[in-house]
Amino acid sequence: MTRMRTIDLLVSVAIGAAFGVAFLGYGALYSLIGPLTAAFKPAEGILAGIWFLPAVLAALIVRKPGAALLAELVAATLEMILGGQWGWGTVVSGLLQGGGVEIGFLIFAYRRFTLPVAMLGGVIAAALEWVWERFSYYPEMSWTFALLLLAFFLVSGALLCGALGWAAVRALGATGALDALPAGRDRDRERRAAATTAA
Amino acid sequence: MTELLLDGVRWRPTGRDEPALDGLHLRVPAGQRVLLTGVSGSGKSTVLRALAGLLDPEAGDLEQAPAGPSRPGERGLLLQNPAHAVVGATVARDAAIGPENAALPRPEIHERVRRALEAAAVDVDGSRDPLAVSGGQQQRVALAGALALRPEAMLLDEPTSMLDAEAAATVRRAVLAASAGRTLVIADHHVEPWREHLDRIVVLGPGAQVLADGPPEEVLDRRPELQETEPAAGPSPEPELRIEPGLLTVVTGASGAGKTTLLRSLAAERGRRPGSLLLVPQDPAHFFLASTVRGELGDAADPAAAADAQSLLDRAGLAHLAEANPHRLSGGEQRRLAIIAALAARPDVLLLDEPTVGLDGERRAAVLALLEEARDRGTAVVAASHDPVLVAAAGSRHHLGGAPSPARTAASTAEGPAATDPGASDEPDRRILPVPRPAPRPADVLNPLTLCLIGILAAVGSYAVSTWQGGLLALLPTVLLAPLVLRSVRGAAWRLAPVLLSAVSLAWTTALLGEAPALSGEAWLLGLKEACRITAFVAPGVIALTSLDVTALGDALGGRLRWPARPVVAVVAALVRAGHTGRQWEIITSTRVLRGRGGRRSPRMLAGATLALLVDSLRGAEQQALALDARGFATANRRTWALPSRFTRADLVGGAVAALLLVWPALAQLLWASLPG
Repeated sequence: MTRMRTIDLLVSVAIGAAFGVAFLGYGALYSLIGPLTAAFKPAEGILAGIWFLPAVLAALIVRKPGAALLAELVAATLEMILGGQWGWGTVVSGLLQGGGVEIGFLIFAYRRFTLPVAMLGGVIAAALEWVWERFSYYPEMSWTFALLLLAFFLVSGALLCGALGWAAVRALGATGALDALPAGRDRDRERRAAATTAA
Repeated sequence: MTELLLDGVRWRPTGRDEPALDGLHLRVPAGQRVLLTGVSGSGKSTVLRALAGLLDPEAGDLEQAPAGPSRPGERGLLLQNPAHAVVGATVARDAAIGPENAALPRPEIHERVRRALEAAAVDVDGSRDPLAVSGGQQQRVALAGALALRPEAMLLDEPTSMLDAEAAATVRRAVLAASAGRTLVIADHHVEPWREHLDRIVVLGPGAQVLADGPPEEVLDRRPELQETEPAAGPSPEPELRIEPGLLTVVTGASGAGKTTLLRSLAAERGRRPGSLLLVPQDPAHFFLASTVRGELGDAADPAAAADAQSLLDRAGLAHLAEANPHRLSGGEQRRLAIIAALAARPDVLLLDEPTVGLDGERRAAVLALLEEARDRGTAVVAASHDPVLVAAAGSRHHLGGAPSPARTAASTAEGPAATDPGASDEPDRRILPVPRPAPRPADVLNPLTLCLIGILAAVGSYAVSTWQGGLLALLPTVLLAPLVLRSVRGAAWRLAPVLLSAVSLAWTTALLGEAPALSGEAWLLGLKEACRITAFVAPGVIALTSLDVTALGDALGGRLRWPARPVVAVVAALVRAGHTGRQWEIITSTRVLRGRGGRRSPRMLAGATLALLVDSLRGAEQQALALDARGFATANRRTWALPSRFTRADLVGGAVAALLLVWPALAQLLWASLPG
């Protein structure tokens, strides 16, 4: 069960690569909240959760230890190679974010793949990422602002990573793209059970 | 050699109500050449997977599972779209994946790859990027990848259906020549081109029921509908591309002649007014943006539009699927849906990229009927295509690149002279070599691990920066060493711009939100120090990475450091394919913009496009997994690596640079502090 099949490995890295590419287009989102962040820089933390999405999607779809870490590492490596601004810092972020999400699912022994667990994973990832950014990117920031940044990070981790990621997996399930994967089997069981009840 | 046997196999893939294989019995004796045919959806691909031993009990309900191969690559598998199978950065490296998975010794890998590329008639250099060669060439690279494992049986899933007639003929010749003495099972809805090379034809119906099975002449006598008639010649090529209301124009040209590029530049040029022009990409799934079939046809609030939508659904034969998710439709249904979804928006110009590729006769006719309907509505229809049936139906034809061959039909070119690409008369270089670089730099000789070490140690060292003067000094070695790595001034500026921009942003943040009074002189100097520190953290790594080759990194991590082989290979494959993923993203986003789903920066567009890219990537991963498992990847925990990852004297220098970057910022601080004054 915990052995990574070929498809599990390839799906994990494919999720990471897809986000690594899509992230290049996401810079536009920061300009959307530009007025907000110009006035109050820590508000940028409200978008932080988006960067942990590959990890939570991979965990929810593949449902095996290591999937989240692998997906997030690929996304981070790709971002670093394609022109990210933080260089090797991006890979450290990838490890911490992917690792954070793994911890969330590990707490429930990789048996529960529900919305609250996804949100927990997002929150742990956000907390770890905050520690890293606090000490590597913003050591001179005052604690007041740093703690406000943390609050934004945590909310974003729960909503933009956990909840949005969970919703994205539901949407992907509807397309049939998950049929051959563990996340698709639940859907199949529910659907067939419903069909039996209806008949 | 052993026979292939399916003994009453039952298989229901997850997500389907009906079994795809319902107790199928099929025995293929060793050395037999069999064609599996039948309409789309009859389960030809599934039968091939079963014969390959690649049905996954974790992905469905499986009974009477057929035996798997007894060694890696015993049964070679070719997919319909060869681009899915590509995992290597070069043609030769891609062909080496199987022998590497089988843990063969290095000299044998090289020998087998050279022979396999030759046997598969791959006539480009082994150092070429397999995702950048033509479809026909790509399919032969995939063939070489299978042959390198010396398969006893070759299983081919519609290997020529994405190709134009000439490329298809070349692939067929290569397949038939390379399969001499092996068992050969081909799934194809075209019988004619294979006919004289076959021992047996099996006709499959819905649920992979065997409708007919026997020697070719006998089966064709009983089922005359399998014989295709040659299409009419169609209009002769015109020098101008005509885009006129009520005219169906085809753009022809060999693969690589620039058909897709032409369509995309037309779309960019004339698609500025929303809805005036739509482009249906080759993969219709890239066109979809709604969660139901009906939703693709637009807003249901307007009764006239709703009536039009319903009539389009009826005529496309999709009315019964109105509430289904577009991505769950079959290939033919997706094509028809994309076309009627475009028509529902009533564009003046409708562009289509290969709208009939890969479809069987019946489904192709249905797509043609819709294109004729679009034309009759007064739409200017332009289709890029190499399908002779579509060409015959066109009112005008524009040909790209060189004179068209007199008769571009499958049958007439099937037995042409030996396969060679123009200009490839010289013997190609079939060696496995490191991935070529655009403009070699001194740092390219470094082992990837040394390049990584430079970046990592520099990042660690940067924490010593504690004043702005020390920070400026700390950047000195990076500035001096950068020319050894960076390839061009423009490239360097492009690469370093985000780094410097974020340094400026960090200076601003620090000046504003630091402990010092906001935006005071003291706060700005603190900001400058932070900008220097972050640049010293990031820049050396970013600069060193411009010399990093991901394939060589995989060799270093897997072959030298002995990291788990399968994840390393999977990650390298994903990074090698990143350019391909980027092209899919570009198609998806530009289609959404054309369909009026917001601009390139709208969150709604980005969210929808990300989901669409994920669907594409997940389906691609499924195909890639099949291709890799057919080449022994499932068991490749202990594999070998075609190229060694060497440390040379240059790496001693590189290591010294890494050490310098580690200690220099601290030294610079001390140096500054010891200066008088």
